[in-house]
Amino acid sequence: MMVATISTPLESTSDPAEHQRRRSGGRVGAFRASPFTYATLMIVTALLSVPLVFVVSVALASDQTVNTNAFTILPSAFHWENFVRVFSSSLPMQRFLLNSIIISTGAVAGQVLSSGLVGYAFARLRAPGKNVLFMVVIATMMIPTQITMIPQFILFKELGWVNTFLPLIVPNFFSNAFNIFLMRQFVSRLSREMDEAAMVDGLGFFGVYRRIMLPMLTPALIAIGIFTLTATWGDFMGPLIYLNDESKMSLALGVQYIVSTSQAAQSPPWNLVMVGSILLTAPMIAVYYLGQRYLYEMDITGGSAGIK
Amino acid sequence: MSIATPRAAGSVRRPRLSKRRRQEALWFYLFVSPWIIGFLVFLLGPMLSSLYLSMTDWDSFTPAKWVGFDNYKTLLTKDPVFWKALWNTCYYAAISVPLSLLLGLWFANLLNKQIRGRKLFRTLIYLPTLVPLVATAMIFKIVLAPHGPLNQLLGLFGIEGPDWLLEEAWVKPALVVLSVWGAGSATVLFLAAMRGIPRELYEAAEVDGAGPVRQFWSITVPQLTPIIFFNLVMGLIAAFQVFSQVYVITGPNLRGGPNYASTTVVMLLFDQAFSFFHMGYASAISWLLFLVILGFTIAAFQTARRWVFYESEVK
Repeated sequence: MMVATISTPLESTSDPAEHQRRRSGGRVGAFRASPFTYATLMIVTALLSVPLVFVVSVALASDQTVNTNAFTILPSAFHWENFVRVFSSSLPMQRFLLNSIIISTGAVAGQVLSSGLVGYAFARLRAPGKNVLFMVVIATMMIPTQITMIPQFILFKELGWVNTFLPLIVPNFFSNAFNIFLMRQFVSRLSREMDEAAMVDGLGFFGVYRRIMLPMLTPALIAIGIFTLTATWGDFMGPLIYLNDESKMSLALGVQYIVSTSQAAQSPPWNLVMVGSILLTAPMIAVYYLGQRYLYEMDITGGSAGIK
Repeated sequence: MSIATPRAAGSVRRPRLSKRRRQEALWFYLFVSPWIIGFLVFLLGPMLSSLYLSMTDWDSFTPAKWVGFDNYKTLLTKDPVFWKALWNTCYYAAISVPLSLLLGLWFANLLNKQIRGRKLFRTLIYLPTLVPLVATAMIFKIVLAPHGPLNQLLGLFGIEGPDWLLEEAWVKPALVVLSVWGAGSATVLFLAAMRGIPRELYEAAEVDGAGPVRQFWSITVPQLTPIIFFNLVMGLIAAFQVFSQVYVITGPNLRGGPNYASTTVVMLLFDQAFSFFHMGYASAISWLLFLVILGFTIAAFQTARRWVFYESEVK
């Protein structure tokens, strides 16, 4: 079926057939919006937003409101100083934040450095056994992390890496199947002219990668960086297994730690915990908005799969 | 060295590679070496030792004791908590995955209509999926509190909400509610796919007198089945590994929920390994989990032939 689709709204409207098609869109039943459509969308988005509004409300609540559990969905008080207090109180929140930044930076650097190189090799270089190897890469995607979790823990314990950031950073320097697959797809779509010309000019394989490929790979590397960042930043199980000292905890683990340690005696400082949750969330929203064009450029329908 | 495989035919089967090609192969293996090393050290090695460990009794301090299939036998015949955890996980997967897909489909269909403010609605639906899981769980811990917003909301309709996280009957539905909050990720994928469906199909249906509902079920849904299938499989795999939100939302005093009501398989695995140091037993759980996931994935692919519609089939 050779049919042009309407999926590119940027196309010029000068084409009369195109114009006609788009006008008719409103008359086709499936696309007709009724007041019912708007009402449903408003109710749905309002319901989905309740937790987010509530977070802000709790984050801005006074300590007294917290102690009496007198929360309201809409903010009733605006204690903006909570956002400052969270860093000056006895909670090591700035330590958590710094640890998260260190771990995430290391993980992103590892994935970006390794995935580009491995993906390029799989897409461009010829070698015996390459296809078998690539099938192994794809097959590893099906193995749940829980299978390797315990032996990996033993390995890192033997290395004396428990309670350091290394178990959360170092494995990223060896790339992973999902990123290799993305990189390979991306490189395969690039024209071979540039690197072949450079090869004729006597640039070696690494030279071609560094001088020719790397600049062209930037959007893909940024996308991989975003996936790695969101996965590492929000990771809970890894830090839970490897980080025991309060001073070593990441923000995601630290926020939970505050709640779990204060529960017994009194209710947790929910307002400060929610400030922590906002600190955990805000960078993800910022990264998504700054980086979404790179994600779309990667043309991965499973784009958001990497986010959770 | 000619590792000739039937796939890599022709060029590889030559008895000797030219000097240039040998060099290229060398560079290939050099570039790929990070993955090969990582595969051996962090995946294949651990997998084999996990398989070995699952047949031992080991507390990680004293030498491991070989017990054969005893761990598996105990899990399958003598451990009621394992069966409960498996049931809880299946319950969670069986409800949260289809529900998130259905809601995602419904939201996407609403957004696909000619409406004003589509971007705003889409953003509001997608925003929850950007919140890290721990933060989401933390938020729902208060949202689902006895006097939290959900029960306040239910109170408006005269319904007295339960104590979601402390009652055996409600803790699993609470986890489902949490997962449904993230239906926006499916929505965005479905919406992108819907925009790619040829409009002519709808116009033809309109001429034939099909209404909006009929158009949705006869055109939109069949055209989306490949992406629905993809999301179903990925969603099932993720749901069977659910852990962080359960740990956060039912912790720390009631880890695993009242009377193990929210103990999932990975939760049990984690506790056996890192609270009780039953490393062998926990390894056996991880292999059983792998088999369950594999079984459901294969089953999904088996049924796919009957309901997933690929354009190339009808011509």
